[in-house]
Amino acid sequence: MKKITLSLLLILGLTGSIIAQKKALDWPKIYADQLFKITEVMVTDVASPPVAARIYAYTTLASYLAIQPSGTRFTKPDFLSATPIQADKFQASGSGVTNFEFPAIYAMLLVGEKVIPSGYLLKKAQEDWISWGLKNKIFQKKDLALYLTFAQDVADFVLEYAKKDGYIQLTALPRYSPKEGEGYWYPTPPAYMAPVEPEWRTMKTFFLRNLTDFDPKPMAPFDLDKGSSFQIQLEEVYTVTQNLTEEQKLIANFWDCNPFKVEFSGHMAIGVKKISPGGHWIGITGIAAQKANLNFAETAYIHALVGLTLHDAFVSCWKAKYDTDRIRPETAINQKVDQSWRPLLQTPPFPEYTSGHSVISTASAVVLTAYFGDNFSFLDTSELYFGLPERPFDSFLQASQEAAISRLYGGIHYRDAIENGVEQGDKIARYILQQTQF
Amino acid sequence: MSHFSILSIFRMVCLVLAWGIAYSAYPQNQQSKFEKLNPKSSGINFKNQLKEDRENNILRYEYFYNGGGVAVGDLNNDGLEDIFFTGNMVPNKLYKNLGKLKFEDITKTAGVQGKSSWTTGVSLADVNGDGLLDIYVCYSGKGPVETRKNELFINLGNFKFEEKASAYGLDDPSHSTQGLFFDFDRDGDLDLFLLNHNIQVINEMEFDAARTGKHPFAGDKLFRNDGGKFTDVTEQAGIKSFALGFGLSVNSSDVNQDGWPDILVTNDYIEQDYLYINQGDGTFKDELSSYFSHISHFSMGADIADLNNDGLQEIFTLDMLPEDNERQKLLYGPENYEQYDLMIRRGFHHQLMRNMLHLNQGEGQFSEIGQMAGISNTDWSWSALFFDGNNDGKKDLFITNGYYRDYTNRDFLKYKGDYYFKQAIVREKADTLHLVTSMTSTPVHNYYFQNQGNLSFQNLSNSAGFEEKNFSSGAAYADLDNDGDLDLVVNNLNQTADIFENQNSTGNWIKIRLKGPMNNTFGVGTSILAYAEDEIYFLEQQPVRGFQSSVSPVLHLGLGEIKKLDSLIITWPDQQIQTIFQTPINQTLDLSYNPNYSNKTQQNPQQQFLKSIPAPDFNPSSSTVNDFKRQPLMVTMPSHLGPVLASSDLNKDGFPEIFIGGNKGTPARIYTFKEDVWEVYRGFRSASEFSDGVAIFQDFNGDGFSDLFLGSGGYHDYLSEDESLRDRLFLNDGSGVLVPQSNFPKYLISTGTATVMDLNQDGFPDLFVGGKIIPGKYPESPSSKTLINDGKGNFSDQSSEFLPNAKLGMLTGSAAQDLNGDGVEDLILVGEWMSPKALIWENGKLVERSQDYFPSNLSGWWNTLKQADLDGDGDLDLILGNFGLNSQLKASDQYPLNLYANDFDQNGSIDPIIECYLGDGMYPFASRDELLDQMVSMRSKFTDYASYSKAKISDLFSPDELKKAQKLSIHTLESIVLVNNGKGFTPKSLPRIAQSFPVYAISVLDINQDGIMDLILGGNQSLARIKIGRMDASQGLVLLGSETGEFTPLSSSQSGIEIKGDIKSILEFRQDDKTFLIFGINQKPTAVYQVK
Repeated sequence: MKKITLSLLLILGLTGSIIAQKKALDWPKIYADQLFKITEVMVTDVASPPVAARIYAYTTLASYLAIQPSGTRFTKPDFLSATPIQADKFQASGSGVTNFEFPAIYAMLLVGEKVIPSGYLLKKAQEDWISWGLKNKIFQKKDLALYLTFAQDVADFVLEYAKKDGYIQLTALPRYSPKEGEGYWYPTPPAYMAPVEPEWRTMKTFFLRNLTDFDPKPMAPFDLDKGSSFQIQLEEVYTVTQNLTEEQKLIANFWDCNPFKVEFSGHMAIGVKKISPGGHWIGITGIAAQKANLNFAETAYIHALVGLTLHDAFVSCWKAKYDTDRIRPETAINQKVDQSWRPLLQTPPFPEYTSGHSVISTASAVVLTAYFGDNFSFLDTSELYFGLPERPFDSFLQASQEAAISRLYGGIHYRDAIENGVEQGDKIARYILQQTQF
Repeated sequence: MSHFSILSIFRMVCLVLAWGIAYSAYPQNQQSKFEKLNPKSSGINFKNQLKEDRENNILRYEYFYNGGGVAVGDLNNDGLEDIFFTGNMVPNKLYKNLGKLKFEDITKTAGVQGKSSWTTGVSLADVNGDGLLDIYVCYSGKGPVETRKNELFINLGNFKFEEKASAYGLDDPSHSTQGLFFDFDRDGDLDLFLLNHNIQVINEMEFDAARTGKHPFAGDKLFRNDGGKFTDVTEQAGIKSFALGFGLSVNSSDVNQDGWPDILVTNDYIEQDYLYINQGDGTFKDELSSYFSHISHFSMGADIADLNNDGLQEIFTLDMLPEDNERQKLLYGPENYEQYDLMIRRGFHHQLMRNMLHLNQGEGQFSEIGQMAGISNTDWSWSALFFDGNNDGKKDLFITNGYYRDYTNRDFLKYKGDYYFKQAIVREKADTLHLVTSMTSTPVHNYYFQNQGNLSFQNLSNSAGFEEKNFSSGAAYADLDNDGDLDLVVNNLNQTADIFENQNSTGNWIKIRLKGPMNNTFGVGTSILAYAEDEIYFLEQQPVRGFQSSVSPVLHLGLGEIKKLDSLIITWPDQQIQTIFQTPINQTLDLSYNPNYSNKTQQNPQQQFLKSIPAPDFNPSSSTVNDFKRQPLMVTMPSHLGPVLASSDLNKDGFPEIFIGGNKGTPARIYTFKEDVWEVYRGFRSASEFSDGVAIFQDFNGDGFSDLFLGSGGYHDYLSEDESLRDRLFLNDGSGVLVPQSNFPKYLISTGTATVMDLNQDGFPDLFVGGKIIPGKYPESPSSKTLINDGKGNFSDQSSEFLPNAKLGMLTGSAAQDLNGDGVEDLILVGEWMSPKALIWENGKLVERSQDYFPSNLSGWWNTLKQADLDGDGDLDLILGNFGLNSQLKASDQYPLNLYANDFDQNGSIDPIIECYLGDGMYPFASRDELLDQMVSMRSKFTDYASYSKAKISDLFSPDELKKAQKLSIHTLESIVLVNNGKGFTPKSLPRIAQSFPVYAISVLDINQDGIMDLILGGNQSLARIKIGRMDASQGLVLLGSETGEFTPLSSSQSGIEIKGDIKSILEFRQDDKTFLIFGINQKPTAVYQVK
């Protein structure tokens, strides 16, 4: 609860009668708090992991774009030139705007409003943000329209780009049909939900030009003969999950990040919600930005870079998932080994290979390490609101490795999906860093 | 005619009569009317009050809101019916009937208040055979074993009772719902079927394990009465006693008319219901899946009664589908085909969420017609009771319903979970109980349906006195004031119980008080057939009906204007028969066991018209193609269309060849029928990529040998213009070999129909080819074609010449017929979502003149068209097969079905949005999940289920968007005959039972050789949306024609046709002087019948 206390104090301080000086503003904290408002709406809406990553990409992109015309020099190279986004336009716009933090956040909230189904819930956050800006005299009241117009321009630009990324075309594509034969994915208990975004591979990426370059190593083929790679891995999930230490259970739950876990009781069913894997890493990004005392521009920079990386990593991972269409341990174990076995975590509704958390956590961690440096320790409080304790890490990679192996403890992934997923995420991040001449 | 077979003859007469009677018009109904008694006046103030706290709540016991039961019976034999209520958490109450609808609470002195544990159902039965009704009360809940032992209050007379469950061996500690007393072994005493339920949630992973073995407290049990001591014979009798049993009601009836009482058990959740057929040797066999093609899913209360007065009992089970749009939209989630398939693969039956009415066709054949009857959607329903509420001779229906919390509200599932993290954000502790008990509560009114005859019920809930919204559970009927009509007693949740006095004042009646043999003093299991004028009435003595309740053991028959009963035929439980002639009416008849006929009940085999004979070995592979994965908003799957059939003697050897059409994955085949043997015909090959939509044998090149035209249809994964949609012509080489013609015009449409006609008047047979569908673009239709034959079998596409407008709709049927008497054939077309069309040949063109020949508002979901001179007036009438009335889709002139189609969100896919009548107006048919899955833009428009639950089509789209969209409408879903009146056509509905399924195939044949044409209809559609479910009420229906033009339906046991499956085609063929019918069944082998 430390985080919330601090935040409340800050806001109170900022809005009090004594106007804090601009320098006193904890921008990374403010940024993270405003972005969490977007996260909250996503949680309510049950944005699936890939959809959530797309939302983070566009919302963080908006704040980063808005800061461009300020002429700020960033400590790391610009990454927009490595994407198809033609950002030049905003170098020239925003005339009259002197404070770019305010419109950057506002643009982020505007984009959030449009790209999340229940985005209307952000109206309140937008109004609060305007009041906050006025109260803190971030800009002169007469210039409000100017700022809002600028933010709207940024948002429109981002939304125009988003409109053509293939998202609305998804509903025109055939829905998933389970494949005949053994070893293929099939909807999993308890809700047997339809698979999440089977055509996500058709989504436009920011950095990755050729998705097949980032395909993971081949998975172990479905083979139940004793001693086969698959059989050994299946057995591993089965035995590991029955001998979990408390620490392993905690790790599995800490990284569960299942946006919608359905709990049944007779006719009553209730969905228990959590942030998505992408949401968790956006949380870590905010924590790191605060710890490093970044200024607003740098905060916006690293959030956007992580946001865009998350999106690309999800597209790549989701391609692998539906290319391989692999059976989940729960289905395989129930069919072949033990009908009463259940994983610690609820199996998320999409094919198994590769592990999404492994791919995107590694990709995020590699990018964050490149930015903040290795051995950057932090206290991860991202899951506090979702009933899980804070957790310390010595480095981003330590966290991502733990996130990856947590899927084995959770009983929802085989080892090769984790290890090859880590490799896939690493390759994606390195490519992005290389493209941006980091 | 010797008298011993009176019953069997009678039954036969009944059967033949009843199918006729059932469809004849009944006299004007007497309007039912009930009035609720004031508790102050009646003295009945029992209230089943729940107290929700940490110990007692829905999270701890999931049947917390199921409510209590009612039992009515004359406990002191004073001629007045007394009332017993069970309270879940409050003491039971016994009310003595003082007469004149005054009651006295004598619970305390009677000592029947029961235990303080969770109390469920109650039954009255004379367990010890002393002539007094005893009371059996059931217990459940989370308490320890001791608290759950059921109680048996033995009646000592004068309202003194003694609890003797243990002495009788009936103090069973299961989680019991109710006990049903019946004499399953016909030894003259009452045995007990104890219905139980599990109190644990069973995870799907545990399903298989939970369906084997015996659960000590959740599994149902059967106890045999061995001289006053009950022995548990569950296992040896073959009763399932599974952990997965969530039994909510049990009924007993002789379902298959073999003289042995059978058992119906309804189960909540995934476990299917059981229909235990008594094997007559002390054992039962669950034969549900062979009796019923689909059943209700979350089955609750049930009743068994003869609703069409044919002497055969219908079976009705309740479920939870609401009537109105708003509650449906809040309830329906995404349709999950994989989960459904998994359920089937794991050995569960087809289960759909709505009430099911299984119409008894005799010989164990049932057709589910609940939707056509109008009684399928009554919300979360508990008790169903069939009784004659207005003494007009037809049994009406009363349903209690309501669930105290809206758990099935989709917003609860999706958004209530937010509570946990919202609480965390404001740093407050989450309390699940608070979450659960803060859920909304929506009371609903009970339903009263008046039987209109003709298998239809009218919802009179409001006018008959049941408009109040509440939560009602157990219910029972009895003539409380002895005025000759039945009153109702209803147990409510958290509200005083209701007594509804029947205000009926007309209609004759008779009540029968049975005095049965041996220890079965109330004659449980006795059946009564009453015979008056042309009517028959049927009753069976079994007080346990509905839900957790027990009705009066005094049997009641409404007789309408019938002045006397010609005879009563009583079949006692031991199958001894007693007949009484000229029974007086409007009084209570005391009837003691005194059989006067012997028990010979063997039935004369019925004369059936058709005899099943061996079929070809054509065995199509089953297809798993799910068209809803491609276009999620369609209603049925267009891929599964065949097989089509055609016949000809190709090699002129005197034996017919039968063409059986292929579907993608299964190539077409031709068979020769030679002296009752089917042989594969060698002179034909077809590829397996095609789906044959039409097959026509015709001599196209004038060489005297039949050639073959094949129109390719289907949807599958075909491209909108796919090579596999190519139509094909095969010319006969004169030796019977069919040679494919590569020069046949190439056009890539999914063909729905074709007709041979001479379009250019040159004497050679040309072709009209009708397009049905563009794969992936439903409901767009492709251009139809006219192909001109040069006389040598060379065709050329001259569509632009003959068809000024080639986009004619989604065509399914066509026929050539001279409509305007100019000696030139015109063209009649039917199809889905369109009116019949008349295309008149005018100066070498086919010009649409539909309105000159067809009445307006005949827009339908026409599947097929057949020409025949039905009235023998020399011109051709038409028979049109429609979608039928037995589904959730309704259509009328006032409330048509509308289909708006456009790429509304401009993402490259057609969005077909259906608007239909739902309860109280026109609404989008799609559930919120379906709509949001189709169009991204709707996701921000309807962010929760509540916002969509009231949405009209105008809330989805702007007037401009709707105006630009293609709009199709349907005004009727009835299958009809169009009588040719010389100038045009006059529609006439086919009989009611013919409306209970979609008709896909029609054959016209004088089946009973009376010189009048009869109809054979085939249909069903089992590949529809889950929300629509399997439409499978047809087993192949024979309609006998008459001189008046009316048709008389035959039940399947009368006709001899018992086909399970989707009949897509029927073909008549002959060999020598014998006539045969072959039925094409989708994804199944064909069925062949010889006409006797």
